[in-house]
Amino acid sequence: MTRDIDLDLEAIVARFYAPLYRFAWSLTKSEAEAADLTQQTFLILAQRSHQIRDVSKVKCWLFTTLRREFLRIVRVHTNHPSTEFQPDIHDSPVLSQDAIRVLDGKTVLEALAAVEPTYRTAIELFYLSELSYKEIAKTLDIPIGTVMSRLSRGKEQLKAILAGAIAENNHKIIPMNRDEEAAN
Amino acid sequence: MKKPRTEITNERAKFLLSAYRHNGADAQDPIFRDALEQATRDPDLASWFANQRSFDALLCEKLNSVQPPASLKPAILSGIYSVGSKRRFPLGRFLGVAAVLFLSGILLTVMQLRSVPDGHSLSDFENTAFAVLSEGPKLDFLTSDFSRSQEYLLQQAVPHASEIPAALHGLPTVGCRAIDWNGKMISLTCFCLPSGQLLHLFVVDAKSLGKIAPQGDIQEINGWHVKFRREKGLLLMFISKAPMPELIRYI
Repeated sequence: MTRDIDLDLEAIVARFYAPLYRFAWSLTKSEAEAADLTQQTFLILAQRSHQIRDVSKVKCWLFTTLRREFLRIVRVHTNHPSTEFQPDIHDSPVLSQDAIRVLDGKTVLEALAAVEPTYRTAIELFYLSELSYKEIAKTLDIPIGTVMSRLSRGKEQLKAILAGAIAENNHKIIPMNRDEEAAN
Repeated sequence: MKKPRTEITNERAKFLLSAYRHNGADAQDPIFRDALEQATRDPDLASWFANQRSFDALLCEKLNSVQPPASLKPAILSGIYSVGSKRRFPLGRFLGVAAVLFLSGILLTVMQLRSVPDGHSLSDFENTAFAVLSEGPKLDFLTSDFSRSQEYLLQQAVPHASEIPAALHGLPTVGCRAIDWNGKMISLTCFCLPSGQLLHLFVVDAKSLGKIAPQGDIQEINGWHVKFRREKGLLLMFISKAPMPELIRYI
């Protein structure tokens, strides 16, 4: 059963504009474009708020809409840098927490943006929106198993990229422990 | 009856637990049950899982430290209010109509004190500007970048200010709009001041307004601060409800 609901738009903006902006930044890699995209997403919400039937779905709706709006604008992914990932070399690195701690948020965001496009959006939604795997599946319109797979592989790739970023920042080799569970 | 113990490999458990959120929001989701149980039995998996959750928590913390520009929230709110939903803002609409009526009364009085050449007087221009603002400025193009607003207005062949006070260049915009004013075109660009208040800039071809020379100082009209400025054949009208000390720094 559906019923009309009255959305508190100000409260929704206050709660979600920052994570949406970060998601937009990771997509566009531009502060100005991220701000425009975030603003546009809320404008669409205001225009179509009468279509929202379940307030608990607003978060998922916002991230879906922002991504669709981004895809509509760029049409094709052309500008996304991809990082070569070699699982046999970088399999399951465990990064030192202290090494990650010295990185700033922008560097982590850039590392996130460098994950291969296949895995990246699922990873971005996992970290930036803290959506559940089910919500990510709904947002991206893909099966749950595919989300699991993308999260698993994407996280490994992200660790490898972060290890590279840390090494580059420090101009030295970062201690990296192998996960010895791999063969278990 | 005791629940049968399910065997799951560590690789399968890791695969599943990669989708487990660090804050425990998925603790009750049955899809993770076997993997979580396995992590309590297997110390190596437990160690991997603890590392993974710490990594995820740290990453979220780092990412959350990236803050949007201070102007973004007021710009979003301004944008959504301009939509003017009937269902959502009945009080706002009522106040808007009341404001239009009140402003119209004031403007009619002002118009009686001024000459009105060819239906495009300064008071007509003011009237139009106030009417646009009292409705809530519905913008055609949303952007925080002033230069992109200018590009849009250029494409629309609408008068727009090529030169604005230097301090304004540092401000983000909300967006802009082209307005048809009885056959003459006006542009509106909205800036976001550091206080969160908006500064509206209306631009019209000065020749449209006859011979009236507007004042150069900031005036107060019904709670709005208004300032006119002539620039290369254009008339710039700045309107804002921001406090005077803040406006003086920008216009």
